[in-house]
Amino acid sequence: MHGLRRVPENLSGRGDKVMEDKYDVVVVGAGPAGSTAAYSAAKNGARVLMVDRRRELGVPVQCGEAIAEDILNELGIKPDRRWAVNRTNAVKIVSPSGIEIRISEKKVTGKVGYVLNRKVFDKFLAVRAVKAGAEAMIGSYVNGLVFKNGRIGGIRGVGLDGKFEVAADVVIAADGVGSRVARWAGLNTALRFDDIETCAQFQMVGVDFESLSMLEFYLGSRISPGGYAWVFPKGDDLANVGLGVLGSRAERRPIEYLRDFVSRMPGLSKGKIVEVNVGGVPVCGPIEETVGDSLMVVGDAARQVNPLTGGGIDSAMRAGTIAGEVAAKAVEEGDTSKERLKEYERRWKEAMGKRLTRYLKAKEILLGLSDGELDKLAEVLRGVKFDRISLTDMLKVLVKANPKLLWKLRGLL
Amino acid sequence: MEVDSSLCLRCGACVSICPVDAIEATDSYVRPNERCTDCGACRKICPVGAIK
Repeated sequence: MHGLRRVPENLSGRGDKVMEDKYDVVVVGAGPAGSTAAYSAAKNGARVLMVDRRRELGVPVQCGEAIAEDILNELGIKPDRRWAVNRTNAVKIVSPSGIEIRISEKKVTGKVGYVLNRKVFDKFLAVRAVKAGAEAMIGSYVNGLVFKNGRIGGIRGVGLDGKFEVAADVVIAADGVGSRVARWAGLNTALRFDDIETCAQFQMVGVDFESLSMLEFYLGSRISPGGYAWVFPKGDDLANVGLGVLGSRAERRPIEYLRDFVSRMPGLSKGKIVEVNVGGVPVCGPIEETVGDSLMVVGDAARQVNPLTGGGIDSAMRAGTIAGEVAAKAVEEGDTSKERLKEYERRWKEAMGKRLTRYLKAKEILLGLSDGELDKLAEVLRGVKFDRISLTDMLKVLVKANPKLLWKLRGLL
Repeated sequence: MEVDSSLCLRCGACVSICPVDAIEATDSYVRPNERCTDCGACRKICPVGAIK
């Protein structure tokens, strides 16, 4: 494979020198969506180029770094201690007035999750793509699409060696929450203030938390209006402590809410901040139209994020895998029309469309509840012994205890 | 739109909220292009208050 021989040069950032100027598939963005798409397209025989503006993938971290294990199993990726730094199997949800709900997965059959080190994980996924034959062009900023006869025919940008232009049969937009590629192609992906959670996170050392295997979630309009705060353990006394506030409800910057949260939590306030992360998470649910002629949109760029939790790594990797495969097949067949690429849209909707829509509904219901109402729900859930982490299980208990809720929660069960 | 580069962490939240695709965000800078109408959306969404 032409790609393999060139790996070291590419990763050293001198992509331009060895770059060919025509590829089957060009992927813009090398996060989990892009790297998975590049891997999948290369595996399916396409000549792939992956471009990222960053000189160091996975940096800056814009993520709480928690992930469910399912997606790794699905894609046959074996968790590695270098990036799956902590295993989790329980959650604690704390209501505005401090009522705690604990849910542990069954010891034997339970699903587990991981807290990741995204800097290592993202690089791992990119290297996986490159090893499968994709070329990588790092530190290269894509600033426009190239159109040929009114149709997308490639990308252009500025890299470490100056301006470049690359032709492609298919462009995959994996350029994250601030995606512009889809917009240039005429898809409307601009967010409104109630579509985005702005997040701030401290990585803190010297903190106390209940258990290394437990993810903690804190609700309340005082803590983080329209969002939640989290404590995700990464090591013995190391954790990601962060929160997201809904753009339309925030009265202050997320970092200010976060400072307040940390100072009010005895286990956290004595900790030391060793890293600061910020970012935006799209919580509007996936965009409907994710393909065009010679174009596919994946991951955060397509808003393929769980609107309730803000988790998007799994969806990104699922969508990326499908997109890469469809792109490679479409190129091979010589038909990269929107009609042909719709296979991607049909398949990602099949894989996760319903689930994301359901979480969107759940989010909207939660946003409609006052702190007092959240406390009442927590009161009901507190005494119940759950043996798995499931939205459906929790809803069933709530409706049983308070049939009046059924009306509000309809459509979710 | 004016970005204080000592505060900006280049997270891209401003790019996602910009209604007219007026923000260039590379690995080294975030700045407006000629489409910027100074509507203030980016200022409001910036998690660290880097936009003046």
